Amino acid sequence: MDATTLTDRYVDAAMHTVPEKQRADLAAELQASIADQVDARVDSGEDAHAAEVAVLTELGDPDVLAAGYTGRVLHLIGPRYYLDWWRLLKLLLWIVPACTAFAIALGQVIQLAPIGSVVGPAVVGALGSVVQVCFWTTLVFVVLERLGRETMDAGPWTPDRLPAPRERGARFSDLVTSLVWLLLVAGAVLWDVFRGLAFANGTWMPVFDPALWPAWMIALFAVLAAFAVVSVLVYRRGGWSYALAAVHGILDLLLFGAIIWLLLEGRLLNPALVSALGEATSAEVPRILGVLLAVGLAIVGVWDALDAFRKARGSNRAETRVPA
Amino acid sequence: MSADEILDTHLQELRRGTVVLACLRLLTNPGYGYGLLEELAARGFATDANTLYPLLRRLDKQGYLTSEWNTDEARPRKFYRTSAAGRTLARSLTDDFRAIAASIADLPQED
Repeated sequence: MDATTLTDRYVDAAMHTVPEKQRADLAAELQASIADQVDARVDSGEDAHAAEVAVLTELGDPDVLAAGYTGRVLHLIGPRYYLDWWRLLKLLLWIVPACTAFAIALGQVIQLAPIGSVVGPAVVGALGSVVQVCFWTTLVFVVLERLGRETMDAGPWTPDRLPAPRERGARFSDLVTSLVWLLLVAGAVLWDVFRGLAFANGTWMPVFDPALWPAWMIALFAVLAAFAVVSVLVYRRGGWSYALAAVHGILDLLLFGAIIWLLLEGRLLNPALVSALGEATSAEVPRILGVLLAVGLAIVGVWDALDAFRKARGSNRAETRVPA
Repeated sequence: MSADEILDTHLQELRRGTVVLACLRLLTNPGYGYGLLEELAARGFATDANTLYPLLRRLDKQGYLTSEWNTDEARPRKFYRTSAAGRTLARSLTDDFRAIAASIADLPQED
């Protein structure tokens, strides 16, 4: 009787994942098929128990067999959805943890938290968001895989979908753009010093602290001029090099570092403007605006520096591809 | 992966569809799981039981086979038989197989 038990257990295990209404029919058929196979082996002289074990071993894992019957999917995400899943996951992992860390850090800074409790929660938050993004994205695709819905992918692949060539920052328009920007910044600063860019208490007043003129402002123009020189060199060389990107990064550090330092020291903005703003709203507003401005400047500076390195890498690759 | 395993994989790929064709042709005379397994093996279509049984179910569901229980004998068995749609499919598959065989024969000869 032990022999029937083994087959019964196998059939039970296989029917576990089979829908209720097919179960009786499928179980009876499987039972008969196993019995036929065992009988054949016994007829050729095998021991009944050994024959049963051999037949069941040959049939293999009952869940796999049942999956064959029911068409159950035996992978988490198959080839149909894998690339969509992977691309979306990469995209989200670029965006979400950075945004989370930034938002948490900003909140802490505005609450005047010490630097240690700015970085810690931001890192923890970013790691948490990595786990969340991975889990939920994967879950959505696991469900899609089982429902067999089309993804957001719009139609078949065409060559139009090839990624755009890497930017090298070496076109004439890049040079003009960066020079125009530098001139605009210089012009705006000069205008601010002599005419004022802010309108408060019924009069135009400078945004920047008048005490910054002339020493700090001249230093600023020197740095802007250095940026212009780098742009010209990049254009003449036909692309960014790592050396130029490094110089550019140091200039970014000088420029944005000095501005943020002055801002945090309370020496960047015109005190008359700050007090006018404080009176018009509340004393908290200038402080919070200052923090937001500092963080914003830091992001712009880091972005600008990294962008140069990205372009340097792009033109490096282009050079290795087309030997001169 | 050893050379033998690679060869096995290629042979399996090549033979995959032929089992369906063989089943559809053989089951013009009704047959049941194990009996068909034996007959396939005897005719040179060696198939694993755990491949054949789900395949029969699938063809049944797709309407290429019909099935009914035969309780005349001591052990009740589910018998399958090729339907009209199954016979049409078998003809298409056979034609295609012949076309492939002809194309292969036309390929440049090996030494």
